[in-house]
Amino acid sequence: MRLPERLFRLVLRLYPHEFRERFGSDMVAAYREARADAAMCGRRGSFEFWTGVMADALVRAPGEHMRMFLRDLRYAARALRRSPMYTLVAIATLALGIGANTAIFSVVHAVALQSLPFADSARLVRVWEKNDKLRIPQFSASVPNYVSWRDRAQSFEQLGAWRSGSATLTTGGEPQRVSRLEATANLLPLFGIRPIAGRLFTPEEDRLGAAHVALIVESVWRNRLGGSTDILGTPILLDGIPYNVVGIVRDRDFVLPIHCLTPLAANLAVESRSNHMMTVVGRLRPGVTIPQAQKEMDAIALQLGQEYPKDDADWGVTMASVYDWLVPRPVRTGLYLLLGSVALVLLIACTNIANLTLARAALRRREQAVRLALGASRIRVVREVLTESVLLASAGGAVGLALAYSIMPVFRTQLATVLPRAGDIALSGPVLAFALLASLATGLLFGALPAFLNSSRDVLDALKADGRSGARQGIARRLLVVGQLALATILLAAAALLGQSFLRLQRVELGFRPGNITTAMIGLPSSRYRDHAAGWQFYSRIISELSGTAGVEAVGVTSGAPFAGGNTGQPVRAQGANALGNESLQADWRMVSPGYFNAMGIPILRGRSFTEEDRRGGPGVVILSADAARRFWPNEDPIGRSIVTGEPLRVVGVVGDVRNLNQALDPRPTMYYAATQFLWPSMTLVVRTTADVPVAPMVRRIVSAADPQLAVFNVRTMETLLETSTAQPRLTAWLVGLFAVLALLLAAIGVYGVLAYLVTQRTREIGVRLALGARPGSVLRLVVGHSFRLSAIGVALGAAAALLLGPAIESQLYGVRPRDAATLATVSAALLAVALLAAYLPARRATRVDPLVALRVE
Amino acid sequence: MTERDIDRERELDKHLPLPPAVFHILIALGDGEKHGYAVMQDVADRTGGKVRMSPGTLYGSIRKMLDEGLIEEIFLRGARAAAKEDERRRYYRVTKFGRTVAAAEAARLSALLHDARVAGLVPRKG
Repeated sequence: MRLPERLFRLVLRLYPHEFRERFGSDMVAAYREARADAAMCGRRGSFEFWTGVMADALVRAPGEHMRMFLRDLRYAARALRRSPMYTLVAIATLALGIGANTAIFSVVHAVALQSLPFADSARLVRVWEKNDKLRIPQFSASVPNYVSWRDRAQSFEQLGAWRSGSATLTTGGEPQRVSRLEATANLLPLFGIRPIAGRLFTPEEDRLGAAHVALIVESVWRNRLGGSTDILGTPILLDGIPYNVVGIVRDRDFVLPIHCLTPLAANLAVESRSNHMMTVVGRLRPGVTIPQAQKEMDAIALQLGQEYPKDDADWGVTMASVYDWLVPRPVRTGLYLLLGSVALVLLIACTNIANLTLARAALRRREQAVRLALGASRIRVVREVLTESVLLASAGGAVGLALAYSIMPVFRTQLATVLPRAGDIALSGPVLAFALLASLATGLLFGALPAFLNSSRDVLDALKADGRSGARQGIARRLLVVGQLALATILLAAAALLGQSFLRLQRVELGFRPGNITTAMIGLPSSRYRDHAAGWQFYSRIISELSGTAGVEAVGVTSGAPFAGGNTGQPVRAQGANALGNESLQADWRMVSPGYFNAMGIPILRGRSFTEEDRRGGPGVVILSADAARRFWPNEDPIGRSIVTGEPLRVVGVVGDVRNLNQALDPRPTMYYAATQFLWPSMTLVVRTTADVPVAPMVRRIVSAADPQLAVFNVRTMETLLETSTAQPRLTAWLVGLFAVLALLLAAIGVYGVLAYLVTQRTREIGVRLALGARPGSVLRLVVGHSFRLSAIGVALGAAAALLLGPAIESQLYGVRPRDAATLATVSAALLAVALLAAYLPARRATRVDPLVALRVE
Repeated sequence: MTERDIDRERELDKHLPLPPAVFHILIALGDGEKHGYAVMQDVADRTGGKVRMSPGTLYGSIRKMLDEGLIEEIFLRGARAAAKEDERRRYYRVTKFGRTVAAAEAARLSALLHDARVAGLVPRKG
């Protein structure tokens, strides 16, 4: 064949298959003759001829394709209208499946996939201090260490830092506790944040002794300060001190809710290298990787350790990308687990619809066999079936998208406390693309098998089959049920594991009695409460007035209530003979009032609680948690011994261990300082009441009577704090559980469908058996046995897969192993039981077959 | 006019005006069945080589005209096929409906021509 003709045949391939079948050879013949004519007109004729051919193909071929597609679409729509029940069931199933997947994907996208809202965020890193010897993997930095890093490190374009705190804002209304960042001047530029009005801090304002300035966020500016730019340059009162507002920044530029920023303006003369308070974030220079920066920082940490051995020996540096910090790996794993589970549900739904489609296809097989026999191409038949399934999936996808869209506002508000960036959940481009792809893939997936089986060349067999499905179809449908049960087993196993760990978390020994406790925070501005005496006088007044109120059982004060977020800790040594010798123990600490243990329901195991007699200026005292005491003096009475943090403190009591941070973390060794001797800038009131007494108004009234300029904030019951703490495992367990139930239901429907069909298929055989004297019992066994074999294979495959996949969800589990044999056995048994149950109805129908009627079927 | 006439009128209107390629093919087939290439040649001859259809345009139009019932495919057998030399080729002829449509198009063009004359847009011969 000559080259130009080959080229022409290549161009022909642009046209749809059918068009080529019909006109291809004629076109080639026409081409030959036309080319001969054109050649007579010389080169110019040839050129014109070829441009004509090419232009023609490029314009007409897509049109022909579109025409075929539209015709298939019309054909499919007509076919679907003829079986409305099938169409409805399929669309509803797909809408639920695709909708659930899209909804979960919108969460995954907002939380884990989309990039951070900061310019060039891949170069942003969070930098921590660490201490391997004290087993502290990540810790805030001290101000002097941050300054040393900033001055020495070359890897960063900028190294910024902040410490978060709070202040009482008295300008523009009732006193309000606001969260405040004390930030270095380079912090916001480092993130690429710009003010919406005014300006950011200048480096001069970030120096000791500079005039007081502040940035406020848009919401505070609009809601409390009038929303006019006149505010720029005027002062607001924070803890009674005037700060000039220089700029306004957007709320959503901050990952955590904050209200205002003031310059850090560090006083290096008083800041200690051992006081770890700063969050340090850096922007790497272009081309510098985290390991390179880490290497440099390791060297700097070593230098600092040698220069300041007292504070910096053994302290190193560690870093991670800001993304890894804000969206921690376990959160991402949890989300991917959800996405995987919901994808499995869709897969099971697909198998169900494939099964349904196969049953329907069996009825249409004759029609299609006739068309094949009359010369319709196989591709044509395959394409028609696929068009039909993609059309169904698209309809399901559209409804699903609407469902997902309607649930997004609920996600945004309900997940805000559980997941970072939940506020960003929206119907974005990628989410739309996901829904579209999921619909297409779904359509192709459940359409492929029926399309393939229905277009078989074995026309004669199909014509003879007369509406009954062939052997291959039967096998295909059984395989689908096996796959479905396997998938359901995996999902159910995951749900069972997550459910168990959630229950274990709920039942964990907290170390205190959480019922009927309300916590409320108060911060005393140092400008008006200059020393400890003033502060303690205020708190003891509040405690005594609250204690005298009806319904209040006990009141205490602490520097940090359990589960309220945040932690304070420091290394501590014991004096004299002890198990650790001169080694330090890293222990958490809290400052608590004498009534705290009573209010929390923490048992005093030895010695006593604090009393008003433990005065500031008197001998320093401390109470240890049982674990802390055991580590220093495993076999002796710790009462009367001393520990050293700064000054020596005498141990006066030992109390029970308490889980302070979350349910999954074992209690940590803890020291309690006396609030009568030390106070923290903000303290938490712990109020135990007899029953449901409204505590918030009571506390507000008493505090406001004592000092009208103070704000009471973060009023929460202990139950709420506990619930918030388990919100993520609860969410995961509930959703995966829900998906598992759906999977189970779909699998049961699948088993039922296949067996019901099987019974219809074998009606004649069963009739013959019954006519020959078979007992109903043996017929029952026949059908149920069939179901049992199918489900046993499916469940066994699923259990094996669950064993393989188990470790992937280990980070989401608490107190249960990912390959827990008992769980797997229970789940398998449950699935087998459900499969047998689903077989019951078809089996019973089989026993009631009337031999006479059955034999007349033909 | 009866209802049927109105329906027919509507059916005709759907096809008018005819794309030039379609009208050319109808004209080429007007005097008897032809295969595709013969149509191409006929059109080229009649227009003095000005209208040259590429195979794509030709068969694209033929497909459309078949779908619309303007032309039909005929199977030649036996002696006639031998006489027509190449029996593997598909031959086409104009249907009754195709003739009606072609006549309507011709009438439409003729009316248009008349209008053009009245407007003095057509040069007089001689």
